Amino acid sequence: MIVADPKPFQEVRGFLENYRKILILGCGTCVTVCLSGGEAQAELLASGLRIAFKKDGKEVTVLEDTVQRQCEQEFVTPVLERVKKEGIDAVVTLACGVGVNFLSDRIGAVPVFPGVNTTFYGGNVEAGLWSEMCAGCGECITYLTGGICPIARCSKHLLNGPCGGSEKGMCEVDPKNTECVWQLIYDRMKLLGRLDEMRNLLPMKDWRPAMDGGVRRTVREHIYRLSYKSQT
Amino acid sequence: MEKESHLYATCSAACPVHTDTREYVRRISTGDYEGALDVLLEVNPFSSVCGRICHHPCESQCRRQVIDAPVGLRLLKRFVVENTREYRIQRRKKVEPVLGRKIAVIGSGPSGLTAARDLAMLGYKVTVFEKDSMLGGMLAHAIPRYRLPVDALQEDIDDILALGIESRLNCEVGKDVSFKDLRKEYDAILIAVGLAESHSLPIPGIGSDGILLGIPFLWDVANGSPPTLGDRVMVIGGGNVAIDVARAAKRLGPSQVIMACLESREEMPAWKWEIEEAEEEGISIMNSWGPKAILEQNGKTTGIEFKRCTRVFDENKRFNPQYDESVTTSLDVDSVILTIGQKANLDFLKETTVGVDRGRLICDRESCTATERGVFVSGEVMTGPGSAIQAVATGHDVARAIHHYLETGETLKLPQESIETIGELPAQTAARARKFDHIDVRLTDASQRIKDFSPIEPGYTEAQALSEARRCLACGTGAVLAPSAQCAGCLTCVRICPYGVATVERTASMPAQECLTCGLCAAECPAAGVALARFATNRVKETLESILTDCSAEKIQRPLVVSYCCLYEATSRKYLREQTRSEIEETGILRVMVPCVGRLGSIDLVSPFELGADRVSIIACHETGCLYTGAEELLERRIQQARRFLDEIGVGGESLQFFRTHTSAEESWPQFWRESKEDLRATSAA
Ligand SMILES: Cc1cc2nc3c(=O)[nH]c(=O)nc-3n(C[C@H](O)[C@H](O)[C@H](O)COP(=O)(O)OP(=O)(O)OC[C@H]3O[C@@H](n4cnc5c(N)ncnc54)[C@H](O)[C@@H]3O)c2cc1C
Repeated sequence: MIVADPKPFQEVRGFLENYRKILILGCGTCVTVCLSGGEAQAELLASGLRIAFKKDGKEVTVLEDTVQRQCEQEFVTPVLERVKKEGIDAVVTLACGVGVNFLSDRIGAVPVFPGVNTTFYGGNVEAGLWSEMCAGCGECITYLTGGICPIARCSKHLLNGPCGGSEKGMCEVDPKNTECVWQLIYDRMKLLGRLDEMRNLLPMKDWRPAMDGGVRRTVREHIYRLSYKSQT
Repeated sequence: MEKESHLYATCSAACPVHTDTREYVRRISTGDYEGALDVLLEVNPFSSVCGRICHHPCESQCRRQVIDAPVGLRLLKRFVVENTREYRIQRRKKVEPVLGRKIAVIGSGPSGLTAARDLAMLGYKVTVFEKDSMLGGMLAHAIPRYRLPVDALQEDIDDILALGIESRLNCEVGKDVSFKDLRKEYDAILIAVGLAESHSLPIPGIGSDGILLGIPFLWDVANGSPPTLGDRVMVIGGGNVAIDVARAAKRLGPSQVIMACLESREEMPAWKWEIEEAEEEGISIMNSWGPKAILEQNGKTTGIEFKRCTRVFDENKRFNPQYDESVTTSLDVDSVILTIGQKANLDFLKETTVGVDRGRLICDRESCTATERGVFVSGEVMTGPGSAIQAVATGHDVARAIHHYLETGETLKLPQESIETIGELPAQTAARARKFDHIDVRLTDASQRIKDFSPIEPGYTEAQALSEARRCLACGTGAVLAPSAQCAGCLTCVRICPYGVATVERTASMPAQECLTCGLCAAECPAAGVALARFATNRVKETLESILTDCSAEKIQRPLVVSYCCLYEATSRKYLREQTRSEIEETGILRVMVPCVGRLGSIDLVSPFELGADRVSIIACHETGCLYTGAEELLERRIQQARRFLDEIGVGGESLQFFRTHTSAEESWPQFWRESKEDLRATSAA
């Protein structure tokens, strides 16, 4: 899933200097799960903003709402209607960057500000801890590395590691918390009885399916632009 | 949520009148004793009596017992009644018999009076006929005063009579007025005559002087004219009535009181606690002996001979005692009181067409009817020996049946109750719950209590009652996912639930059977989607808002401190009472009592500042006091997080204060509030 962290309050506050009616929009999926942008967080930010505006003697209405996923047309439409109907003049979304874009593309002349910093694709390692595990590079090579991704989990994104900064299984960048992914790959390949494969150099990676190849889109032909749907 | 609310807690399910136990206990813990009384009286007009002598099936089924011990529900009930006397008098009202139909109730025991009450409330004109000089049946005449003082019964009876029920005392049907006359005068008749006579025994010597029967004996004792007993008294029987007889006899001064019964110790039908109390009072029990003969000299009882009872019940669990006649024993005694069972006196039906079969009234339990149209039955004459609360339950039933009959002319078959309970508390959940000592009261010392018929059991003090009330698990009123919740299945509830109750299958689920209602999942849910079915804290902001809009901002003595206090810590009603608007204005302190401050979510800690608070002060219970595993740690972390946020928004984290009660709420809370107020002044001066 996508992981995000709340932006510093004052940064968000700074976006909103000139608005009178602001909507804080939570998202019910990834950011709810990683405890940074669900309904509870939206309520909290809204409350904080109301307090801060009042302290500054500003009369600003701060509203709150949450949708199931801000990256879907159907879920977002009611919010767009609400923004229009209620004359909301700015939106702070607590969704990942996708939500910010998705709304901005559709909302017309109302500005949309990010309330969180989208950080990575990760997994919940234990209660309260998320860790990066995928880089979305567009061409998965983990079949070569025992299912462990060196691109996402090596600080240097090395395809042929480890580097000299691997010490006692930990990465020199953050020796307390971060394991050296190449140590992990080594251990795992050993466990799988494939240690000899590590003699092979990994081939050069084609980065075109990643960011380098331009904006990525995906089409699922079997439901894309159904003719009977466009008729109605 | 809707579904759960149909589920009975095991306590309510076990109660014959299904008292809403959780609700009255909840009301006690919020200091709303009047409200608690309303809940009790709704179903049980004999609440005062039951607070004293109910055999409390609710406690026997209390789910807390797998954790430590059941909640002391009977004493809580008594506490409510004893602390709402004036209110109880105020709430009385007379009901005019607008329906114009007349009903005669024969017998003023708990079932007769309950039916009379229900019918009077519906608007019928009810007359109760009682052969004795006092209303209440066995409650008035048999249950000894040391267990049930007259005043305690009288409260209930006064309440019932206040509806406008007419009572004819010293009026025995069959003697002072005939059943036939009643039939002519009344539209319906209820026979609720109980089982007022004791069985005797067909053994040699039974006619001698010094042989007494249990119920008449108790009756005389209760009416202040106890029979003369010899110095050595033998009570035959092993049930609760026998225990009462023995204990009452003991109080009359003989040097020896011995009980003998057919049953082994384990088989004795008397309640365990009654047996123990009797033994404490110096009454000895001879188990597995059956009376063989009374020994007499010149017509005076001198002793009793027993034979060994080898078996009381047969394979089909039917009463069918077997003896070994070769094993006998005899004792010198001066008096023998027989307490081996009761029967009804139905002589008043002799010349009537109401069916009686071998001394038993023929009746249909499902419709509470006798064999004649318009004649109804309730209480022990219908059910056989039971409990007061069971008699009350049949009183309600028969009232419904009579009402239906008078309205439609037809017999009502009472629907079979199907009661779905939330089930037992699973052992693995119980194992993770914190134990809290059950508050017991100390009975008067045995050596003291056998001196007279003074009540032997003290009631709960307020502090004891509040403390015991909070032990209630509020079964089945715990966490529920709101239907509109955007549950992302994030597992936060699963991860923080101290009892391993929450699960996620697509969305979160907190099974009612297991949830211990701590509310921690509600406080932490990132989708703000979990609420508690009762005792909810998810409307704190709205509550605060409505209180504060009532106050005038200029009048409030600044700084305004919103103080969340642990409801369970209060040892008196002092802080449980709702504050008046002017009290809040004058003190600048707004108390919010929360059933565990661990339930407060981050938003609850921050939003008061939005509503104008200058400071939020959280007062948790005593160090060792928290009912809920994990609540302290989660709350402390949440407070740290909220403080950082308050720093960020410019309010200052120090405005959120945390205190832990020491000594008592009454002592330490005012001190905390003073600190909260002073601190702020210091900061604003600086
Ligand atoms: C010694 C003893 C101890 C008990 N202890 C407990 C206890 O601790 N807890 C508990 O829950 N239950 C206890 N019970 C049981 C409880 O008292 C009974 O279940 C209950 O009183 C039955 O109520 P009832 O309405 O059927 O009849 P009763 O209470 O028996 O009342 C019947 C009434 O009808 C009157 N009556 C009879 N014939 C006539 C007539 N012809 N005309 C006019 N009036 C008539 C009688 O005088 C009596 O007042 C005890 C019972 C006894 C005997």
